[in-house]
Amino acid sequence: MTPLKKSIPHIFLFSYLLVILFPFLFVIFSSVKKDNNEIARNPFGFPKEFVFTNYVETWVNAKIGTYFFNSMYISILASVISILLGAMFAFAVTRMKHGRWNVALFSLILVGMLIPNNSLMLPIYLLVRKMNILDTHLALIIPYIANALPFTIIILAAFMRSLPSEIEEAAVMDGLRAPGIFARIVLPLTIPAIVTVFIVNFLGNWNEFLLANYFLSTDTLRTLPVGMVQFRDQYQMNYAQMSAGIVYSVVPVIIIYAVLQEQIIEGVTAGSVKG
Amino acid sequence: MNKSLRNPLVYILFIFPALLLFFMFFIYPIFSSIYYSFTSWNGVSANPKFIGFSNYLKALEDERFWESAKNNGWFIVFSCFIQVPLIIFFSLLIANVKKLKGLYKTAVFLPSIMSTAVIGILWGFIYEPNIGLLNKLLGLIGIEPLYWLSDEKYAMFSILLTNAWQWTGFYIIMVLAAILSIPRDLDEAAEIDGATRLQRALSITLPLIKPIISVVIMLSIAGAMKAADIVIVMTKGGPAGSTDVLATYMIKYAITNFKYGYGNTIAVLIFIFTLILTALYQLFIARRSERIEY
Repeated sequence: MTPLKKSIPHIFLFSYLLVILFPFLFVIFSSVKKDNNEIARNPFGFPKEFVFTNYVETWVNAKIGTYFFNSMYISILASVISILLGAMFAFAVTRMKHGRWNVALFSLILVGMLIPNNSLMLPIYLLVRKMNILDTHLALIIPYIANALPFTIIILAAFMRSLPSEIEEAAVMDGLRAPGIFARIVLPLTIPAIVTVFIVNFLGNWNEFLLANYFLSTDTLRTLPVGMVQFRDQYQMNYAQMSAGIVYSVVPVIIIYAVLQEQIIEGVTAGSVKG
Repeated sequence: MNKSLRNPLVYILFIFPALLLFFMFFIYPIFSSIYYSFTSWNGVSANPKFIGFSNYLKALEDERFWESAKNNGWFIVFSCFIQVPLIIFFSLLIANVKKLKGLYKTAVFLPSIMSTAVIGILWGFIYEPNIGLLNKLLGLIGIEPLYWLSDEKYAMFSILLTNAWQWTGFYIIMVLAAILSIPRDLDEAAEIDGATRLQRALSITLPLIKPIISVVIMLSIAGAMKAADIVIVMTKGGPAGSTDVLATYMIKYAITNFKYGYGNTIAVLIFIFTLILTALYQLFIARRSERIEY
């Protein structure tokens, strides 16, 4: 094949990459430009001078620090708890001996994957209000835990099923009971699947917008995506600072992605294929 | 095998928390939505009033409801007829290049892991009429600035474009995974027989990835029916309701206007529409494409 012919696919793919990556570059450049004038005069190019005070001012003005912390702890806590509850459930239905119940319970959870959860938002709003946790972080944490359960259970159950049954025989010989087998044998062996599920759940919670937007009204409780939207609406005209805000909210995701991209791609696509 | 793995008490203890949450946040809400969809209620006062099918009849005559449904339809049309061909095209390209495969795979997926809200803000900036990237680009070829998000003519298209930017890579990775799992010897045999790259793509790869394309279309339909956050962040449904989708219309009604009963009617209708679309797709298209396959 001629070299020219060989490079044709790369030309197409590079144009696609340009479309994907250029917006990021535009935002990064804009975030260190002096003001809107500077951005308007020179939208594509490298900044003439680097104004890093945008970052400082955004962190303070927009309370990005507060939102960042809220998002971080809500996302981690909800992901960990849904994995714990999901793993217990998955263990019970895959490794314990309750034949027909196992099948029925597992199928019930599968149904959860088919329900478009946006359309359940209103009753959940009401439920959260009745539980008296509206406008507290629990209003997000508990629904996030519940929402992640079907996916968590399906992936963990598939993994637990593949573990050989000799493990339990040996554990029972050593005098372990079911909770011990779960906590000391099966859970540690499931860690590869748990890591994947954790990342997927974490990203889902970190990015969630609708519940976070409507279930919280106290400003200092808000999560990062909601805080960002609010900041944009307030400081509509300051595009340099807005860009700095975007950089703040995108950087953690990019770092996680850079480190774990193989696992993220695998986990997210696994979930969607089954969903 | 032994008693400790049959212990019913432990079993119940292990399934109970997840099951309880599942009932609270999946099963109960479905029935609650159905119940309230037959009532007139503001969501606050003591007693919802039972009004039968009135809300459903109201929806049938509600022009803005159908306008919103039409916008969901645009999401589906755009993803099936513009995104899917692009997805197949780029997946085939990535599968067949030898160099830089890893780079392409990593980069195309990046937008899909980011918050839709933040992507909405980012693209809002790109669409900004005076200093946004897009109008500056168009300016280079002498096109006057367009009001992407505030002109009724372009607002919906702008949102669709952003949505495509976010999700195309995600589907490319799914299709790519399917292509890469096809046994290589099929392709090599055809290559030895002298088939060109294009011929091989059309007559070997494409038929074999039909099932995954079908999944991509199903996911696009499901995604189109629940699209909401991108609209709320980019246009809040405006200008003049021209970008409202069913989910945002539902939220506006129930939470902002305290029409909780009618809001739930819309929720139930979203659910029913999704079911119908999925069923129709399975019946007429997915099954037929399977028949052609071999």
